Amino acid sequence: MRSLKKDVAEKIKNADKPVKASAKKRTESKMTASKRRGTGISWLYLSPSLAGVLLFFVLPFFVVVFYSLVDNPINMEFVFFENFVRVFKNAAFQQAAGNTLKFSLVAVPLAVILSLLLAMMLEYKIPLKSQFRTFFLSPMMVPIASVVLIWQVLFHYNGLSNEILGLFGVAKIDFLKSSYAQVVIIILFLWKNLGYNMILFMAALSSIPKDLLEVAVLESAKPFQIFWYIKLRYLSSTILFVTIMSLINSFKVFREIYLLTGNYPYDTIYMMQHFMNNAFGQLDYQRLSAAAIMMSAVMVVLIGILFLAENHFGKDVEG
Amino acid sequence: MSREACKRMKKQIKKALFGALTIVALIGLTGCGKGSEDTAPAREFYYVPTYQDIDLEVDYIQKSVAAGDNVYMFGSKWNHETGQGKDFMYCYQPVTGELQDFPIEMQTEKGVNMSIQQMAVNSKGNIVMMVNKYQIPDMTYTEDILTEEAVEETVAEETVAETSEAVVIADESVTETAVSEITEEAEATTESVEVVTESAADYAQPMEYREWVELWEVTTTDATVLSVTDIQDALETEGGFWAQYMALDGQDNVYFCDGNNKVFVLDSKGDKLFSKQVDTWINGLFAGNDGKVYVKTDGEGGMVVRPVDVQAGNFGEAVENEGLSGNSYNQRYYMGSDGTLLVNDESRVFSFDFVTGVKNDLFAWLDADVNSESVQEMGQLSDGRYWALLCEYSENNDYSFVVLKKTPAAEVTVKEEIEFATMWLDQRVRKNVIDFNKTNEKYRITVKEYGSTDYEAGKTQLNNDITGGNGPDIIDVSQIDYNVYAAKGVFEDLYPYMEKSGINKADYLENVFKAYETGGKLYVIVPQFYVSTAAAKASLVGDVTGWNLTEMLDVAEKSNVEAVMPYATRDTVFYYCVYNNLDDFINWETGECAFNSDEFIQVLEFAKGFPEEWDYNQQEEGTHAKIMNNKILLLQTSVSSVQEYQMMKGMFGGDVAFVGFPNQERKGNLIQPSNGSVAISAKSKHKDGAWEFVSGLISEEYQSGIAGENGMGWGFPIKQSALEKVFEKAMTPEYYKDENGKQVEQPKTSWGYDDFNIDIYAAKQEEVDAVKAIIASAEKAYSPSNEELTKIVNEEAAPFFKDQKSAKETADIIQNRVQIYVNENR
Repeated sequence: MRSLKKDVAEKIKNADKPVKASAKKRTESKMTASKRRGTGISWLYLSPSLAGVLLFFVLPFFVVVFYSLVDNPINMEFVFFENFVRVFKNAAFQQAAGNTLKFSLVAVPLAVILSLLLAMMLEYKIPLKSQFRTFFLSPMMVPIASVVLIWQVLFHYNGLSNEILGLFGVAKIDFLKSSYAQVVIIILFLWKNLGYNMILFMAALSSIPKDLLEVAVLESAKPFQIFWYIKLRYLSSTILFVTIMSLINSFKVFREIYLLTGNYPYDTIYMMQHFMNNAFGQLDYQRLSAAAIMMSAVMVVLIGILFLAENHFGKDVEG
Repeated sequence: MSREACKRMKKQIKKALFGALTIVALIGLTGCGKGSEDTAPAREFYYVPTYQDIDLEVDYIQKSVAAGDNVYMFGSKWNHETGQGKDFMYCYQPVTGELQDFPIEMQTEKGVNMSIQQMAVNSKGNIVMMVNKYQIPDMTYTEDILTEEAVEETVAEETVAETSEAVVIADESVTETAVSEITEEAEATTESVEVVTESAADYAQPMEYREWVELWEVTTTDATVLSVTDIQDALETEGGFWAQYMALDGQDNVYFCDGNNKVFVLDSKGDKLFSKQVDTWINGLFAGNDGKVYVKTDGEGGMVVRPVDVQAGNFGEAVENEGLSGNSYNQRYYMGSDGTLLVNDESRVFSFDFVTGVKNDLFAWLDADVNSESVQEMGQLSDGRYWALLCEYSENNDYSFVVLKKTPAAEVTVKEEIEFATMWLDQRVRKNVIDFNKTNEKYRITVKEYGSTDYEAGKTQLNNDITGGNGPDIIDVSQIDYNVYAAKGVFEDLYPYMEKSGINKADYLENVFKAYETGGKLYVIVPQFYVSTAAAKASLVGDVTGWNLTEMLDVAEKSNVEAVMPYATRDTVFYYCVYNNLDDFINWETGECAFNSDEFIQVLEFAKGFPEEWDYNQQEEGTHAKIMNNKILLLQTSVSSVQEYQMMKGMFGGDVAFVGFPNQERKGNLIQPSNGSVAISAKSKHKDGAWEFVSGLISEEYQSGIAGENGMGWGFPIKQSALEKVFEKAMTPEYYKDENGKQVEQPKTSWGYDDFNIDIYAAKQEEVDAVKAIIASAEKAYSPSNEELTKIVNEEAAPFFKDQKSAKETADIIQNRVQIYVNENR
């Protein structure tokens, strides 16, 4: 077992190792005029995009930081971190942050694990493989308004689910206005995202070098060992990507909730985006900005952790 | 130049060109179109108004028409002492400002009354009038319609007629002959006595009520009646006829339509060419500069304008123009000096040329400091200027003219502009803005209507403007929730301004200021208000001035009335019990909500007993009858004047208690602005100018003005002295002299509500005291119902009303959702 692990690790290390280019001596001579011109032209070509990024991303970011530090956009009196304290103490913010965190903690791992399982399942020669793939991809093509409509038909108080439950003598449940609401939204989230994640994993699985897998089989490796020691390592970057995308999408689930239940839904599905969206509607830009910065800080930490994890699991692959 | 130098130069040009293109691309990319407002071309022209007061002896002008540069007006005045009316006709020249009597003789037969329904000018420059006449049997001969000289002579003639047994046959043909004789001789004034004499004899005969219509052609130079044609036969009706619109074409054919959407066309001699019944609604009939007359009807896609085809006896092809057709419902049509059509669409004026099909935007009334609500007639002078006949509607209508001259911007003294924002412009606010612009030499207010087409989009735009630093200077907060803006520091505290201007708070109703205070600061000025309340039968509710929700629901249950409120729906109940009483359900300090309380559950169950929508078609007793029969308990209403209080008192048979909306403190009467409420932006660059406008609204002059018009107006002034004048006026009796010359008190006016009508006499002291008490009891400001809250309650209560959920379940969900809203907004 130990030898197999060592061999495979060694092979993985060497497999994708880039061929080192022969070291070139760098001349310390001054840049020639043509090089300078080349650099200038490069910047010139880059400048429209740079200006766009500055204007639409960097500048708004600083505007948001500025708004989070003033009392309101009208008076613009500097209040330091008062807005952050106020937002942090706000019961609605706490509720929204808690719900969002809870949702992400449940929905994101599920979205990653289930889609990985589906991708692996579709790797095998099973009947109706192509139909399955289409089935899981189809939610991606359905417009959001239709998705909401379908979910309303399914989970409305007078919807299909209650009709079916009624057949078994179960009393009606108001799915979207009860503690079941977050479960409904998690199902919706998975239904909408599994297909896309699955395709990404399928692509990653197909790029694993076949010789490695064959060697592992020849070495009498069990399927779990192959999965754990080979596939998972090769999938680590894809897992990271899928996790980040799912995390981002988990924040975007507001769109579906908003269309299903409006600005003020049942408390279990009141998300951070609700809080920020409503703050915008009430001209409370300072609170919106403070909340956005806190949320982005959490996002940075989470994504940082994910990167560390990816480095840890995928270090053999990337060398 | 060497080849090298030439190359270098080419390179440099290329570089420069490339750099310039990059900059242009960058500007395009970054959307540097800032400011379509900043870079918008300055106005080239202004329409500068010149106001001309005219002294007319009329209560109202019924009809007016322009012929050349003269305006001919027909009006009437009612003599309260004699109880009779008198008609006048004037000619006014806007160019010189000269007003003259237009000496047309308007009485042709004794005992026959006439009025001018429509007027138009024909190709000869004469006025064609559609005259309605009626003869009432047993009518005492009315002197009022004669000239004073004629009156004296008539008295003499009447005496003769009374003593004479000789009676001239009251034959219509004879009358017509007599009239045509007069016409031929063109002796309008002097012949009047002769005509009266003949008709007086007619009057001695017993006769039936008769009504008929004539077409008169009258010269504009000396008011000679050139022809009188009885067109009653052409009208296809017996008796009365009302011509809604009238126009003449290039051949002087006369086009008009009645109130039943039927178009008639007569030739210039009064012979009928054809008539056509239209299935839809006729919105206008006017002459184009191509010699045709056009009719505007309601079609599938909005309004349709089509020419009337005399040859075919039908309507022609529709005129394709968005300005005239489509959504253009509220337009009035006049003729320009060159024959083009002038269209007044209430806020703006444009011309339309039927020959070229070109629409030309002219001006907005507001930009020209003219109140579009006051425009009764307009036209164009031969020198290109526009005129308008204005009427300030009040107890005594005040008529004036305004002449607008198109003036290059360079010749106009530009004032500092103050922007006034409103969701939609209230009639009274518009007048206030125009009055300010007319009188202020330093500042000029421009109005920006944010929500005239889409309220939500307008509100978002206003928010964006405010936060983006492009906000208005003054904001009309009567249509928005001012508390949201006040909390964000959008408004200026007005107390320091009042202090600086020497305005003493004690001179005003303290409770009104208090009601609009936020944290001891006054952000909003309400110049005029009324009290929003609910009236109940005192015998049913007891002698109370307020109640809480439990008491209200108890009384409703025990009173055993058929319906608690007339025409009430479930929404009405929520508005009455919850939305206007939010403090009982939300504690903003602690963030606690009580939407799952027993009281709210009671309200839900109470509301269930009301219909979702009221069926107004069902035959029911009127409100008054129901009150008298103890079938209803409450009536949501307002007290905007002493007269309104008197009416409510009369309606309840004196047994009335103004309990207002239920709340814990039992003070449920709410203050509501009646003609806008204003705030000054904290970021305004013209705060002094803005304050000049706002302070004008609480000035003695303005507030007394409210008192002056209060008999007709709506709402109380906030200044104590002006309010006293209101009460004084309400208590001043009006008299008439009876047949014995004795002064008898007469009604000041009459009021009606549903099935109830009442003559209002001078108020008694106790009535005024009661109104004072109602005003004093109002300590809270009415605020527009919270949209989010309304939405949540309506949404969640629906399954309960359909028996799908229990009241408790419903209340719990409402509580859950509202709690988030409350938490968010603390």
